[in-house]
Amino acid sequence: MSQVPSPSRSPATGHRGAGPATDAAIATFGLCKHYGSTRALDDLDLVVPRGQVFGYLGPNGAGKTTTIRLLLGLHRPTAGRAEVFGLDAWSEPVAAHARVAYVSGEPALWPSLTGTETLDFLARVHGSTDAAYRAQLIERFQLQADRKVRALSKGNRQKVQLIAAFATRAELLVLDEPTAGLDPLMEVAFRETVLEAKQREQTVFLSSHILSEVEALCDRVGILRSGRLVDEGTLAELRHLSARTLEVSFRDTPPSLEGLPGVSVVERDGRRLRVEVSGELDPLLSVLAEHRVEALRSREPSLEEIFLHHYREPGAVTQRA
Amino acid sequence: MSAGVALARRAFSDARTRNGSFALLFALVAYAQPAAYRSDYPTLHDRLGFVHAFAGNASLRLFYGRPLDLLTTGGYSAWRVGGILAIFAGAWGMLAAVRALRAEEDSGRTELLASGCVSRPGLFVASMSGCLAGVLVLWAALLAGLVAGGLPAGESAYLALATVAPALVFLGLGALTCQLAPTRRQALELAGGALLAALVLRVVADTSSSLGWLRWATPLGWSEEMRAFAGPRPAVLALPVALSLALLALSATLWRKRDVGSGLLASSEVARPRAFGLSSPTALALREERWSLVGWLAGSGGFAFIIGLISTSISSAGISSSLRRQLRELGGASLTRPAGYIGLSFLFFVLAFSLFACTQVAAARHEEAEERLEAVLALPVPRWRWLAGRLALAAAGVVALSLFAGVLAWAGAAVQHAGISLATMVEAGLNCAPAAILFLAIAALAYALVPRASTAVAFGVVSVSFVWQLLSSIVGAPRWLRELSPFEHVGLVPAQPLKAGAAAAMIGLALLGSAVAVWAFSRRDLVGT
Repeated sequence: MSQVPSPSRSPATGHRGAGPATDAAIATFGLCKHYGSTRALDDLDLVVPRGQVFGYLGPNGAGKTTTIRLLLGLHRPTAGRAEVFGLDAWSEPVAAHARVAYVSGEPALWPSLTGTETLDFLARVHGSTDAAYRAQLIERFQLQADRKVRALSKGNRQKVQLIAAFATRAELLVLDEPTAGLDPLMEVAFRETVLEAKQREQTVFLSSHILSEVEALCDRVGILRSGRLVDEGTLAELRHLSARTLEVSFRDTPPSLEGLPGVSVVERDGRRLRVEVSGELDPLLSVLAEHRVEALRSREPSLEEIFLHHYREPGAVTQRA
Repeated sequence: MSAGVALARRAFSDARTRNGSFALLFALVAYAQPAAYRSDYPTLHDRLGFVHAFAGNASLRLFYGRPLDLLTTGGYSAWRVGGILAIFAGAWGMLAAVRALRAEEDSGRTELLASGCVSRPGLFVASMSGCLAGVLVLWAALLAGLVAGGLPAGESAYLALATVAPALVFLGLGALTCQLAPTRRQALELAGGALLAALVLRVVADTSSSLGWLRWATPLGWSEEMRAFAGPRPAVLALPVALSLALLALSATLWRKRDVGSGLLASSEVARPRAFGLSSPTALALREERWSLVGWLAGSGGFAFIIGLISTSISSAGISSSLRRQLRELGGASLTRPAGYIGLSFLFFVLAFSLFACTQVAAARHEEAEERLEAVLALPVPRWRWLAGRLALAAAGVVALSLFAGVLAWAGAAVQHAGISLATMVEAGLNCAPAAILFLAIAALAYALVPRASTAVAFGVVSVSFVWQLLSSIVGAPRWLRELSPFEHVGLVPAQPLKAGAAAAMIGLALLGSAVAVWAFSRRDLVGT
């Protein structure tokens, strides 16, 4: 396994064992969760500052939902702890939940209630709801609120959850793959709503594997693999520390480039090479300077490339198979 | 065809827990009855004595039906085994059909299969074949138990057949309600109502002196009319078989004509919002459970009314003339007084309300398994309050059912001028509650400690406790072991005084158990399916 870029590793490390990080919406300290012999989450240190939109990335089974269940006090940590606004997620859930709204990945609601009744129930039990905003959201998401939940498709049930969560105006929104069943129009409505929440300085914890969504919305991103946080930082930081792609066309036979630190040739097509470089560019450039280069194109990695980079590492694939 | 075989095996294997526990219960009861009779009443004199005593306990007919011959081991076993297990077989048939058809459809698996290479009729036949294999298992378990209890194989096979016949009918009826109701729960409620109606008809037929012909109107009566060990009439078997086939054929036809995932009685998908029951999770639980509660109230209340109504009219008319002669020789049958009849009959409500308590904990578990509980507990709702509210609601339901049964039995008795006061019957009704509430607490403990197994454990504890009285005497268990069953501690009010100490102890234990359950639940992970 190649090294995780350590400089971007959790800024929370310094908080371990210390008191609550009072300026953080979410903070976890060595958070672990094992189910039998399965390590669903391993030593997670994470800080999500208030007012940020935090993208939590990972493939199926990486531990995203486990993290959320620990943050909400639905499951008990095997070791370590999680805090929400400085409140312990397991031992003080009620105080924490008064400031949190949650959207689950599986929209499990009461089949016999209508959309309106469901929203009413969730609002009354939560205790705070902006009724005017809720009406606006019902309009925006085009929810048929008089239909019973059992008659709603998955996407429509998801809308009910989203409207209920955003209408609380809670300080922290915990969203677990919230757009899984939404159509592209509703995806746009969702993004608009998240940006509104951000403008109101609400914190959003967005678990997702839709990379374009995370790229468009999130200030910071954490990447989870097999229960471990393998990368975390702003998009710019992740790009900086990840491999960038260079396409080089030569006038004559391309050099082998073997043995150069951080350089790997991903495609060789006649006189054209596609090269991924992680770390410094200097060693590669000094080799290229000795050859006749016709064209050189450098591109920053997309989030998808960063993401795939983390998952294509040796061991990772077999681990998830 | 191989796909059909695979699906039938799948349905059979899905039902293994239910089939296994019913088969065990059937085998145990089938073994215990002849064994107990032989050891308790070895001589004709003992048996005549038993008949004499039985005449004073006519309410046993409520559970076991009409006895035809109590002087032989076979006749006694046919009455005790056939009478009560026929009801269980009916319940099994309905549960099996609804599980194999409607629950599969609710989960979306039917849609997946129906979109594959299996035809609609093929799917139906496969599911029902899996269930019919289960009927065979029950029949074999009964036969094995009876033979182990020392009865001849041929007649035992016939008694086993008579006993499982209602399973066939209610399998068909369950299949039909699956076509009508849009959800598993509604299908169960419809079929359960039909089973209750069948039982009420049998009780009326067996206990009244003039309405014996009603026995022909209920599948449970047909089992009695097959008269195992008392002049068998095998032709009667044609009735349940024909009705079962007709119901299955009708269900298959309806199934072919309707949309997958819907029901013919599907209610409107659009509704005006009603604010009732949305203020808290407990209020919502009441809203969700209200029709179930109304059904229980109607069913047990109706049953209680009939018990009151017939409490004055128990006669020995159903007993064979030779038996009556022998009874006369013993000095005449002491026919029941209404209070004695009602007191014994109300034991049935202790069992029924204990099962109701189990259904309430099962509903709570369902809420968790379907992950709706996550949505609730992610709100500012303390876990203890959620579970305590749920348990309080169930306990209140038990008390309401108990009171209602007492009042309606009083009303029935008052119609017949039985001379039992309302206060006495309220007491008799409330007397059912402590044991049921204790079982509620046990179910809650199972829910908190072993969530996935909780429903099976809850129903299992109630069933085992109920048959424990019988089994413990067979195996010669010491007194303290027999007294482990809460049913042992229920006084037969109004015939006996209320056992206040035992009732208080059961309520105390229930409170303690519930508190531990709430505490343990607050410390565990939520668990999905």
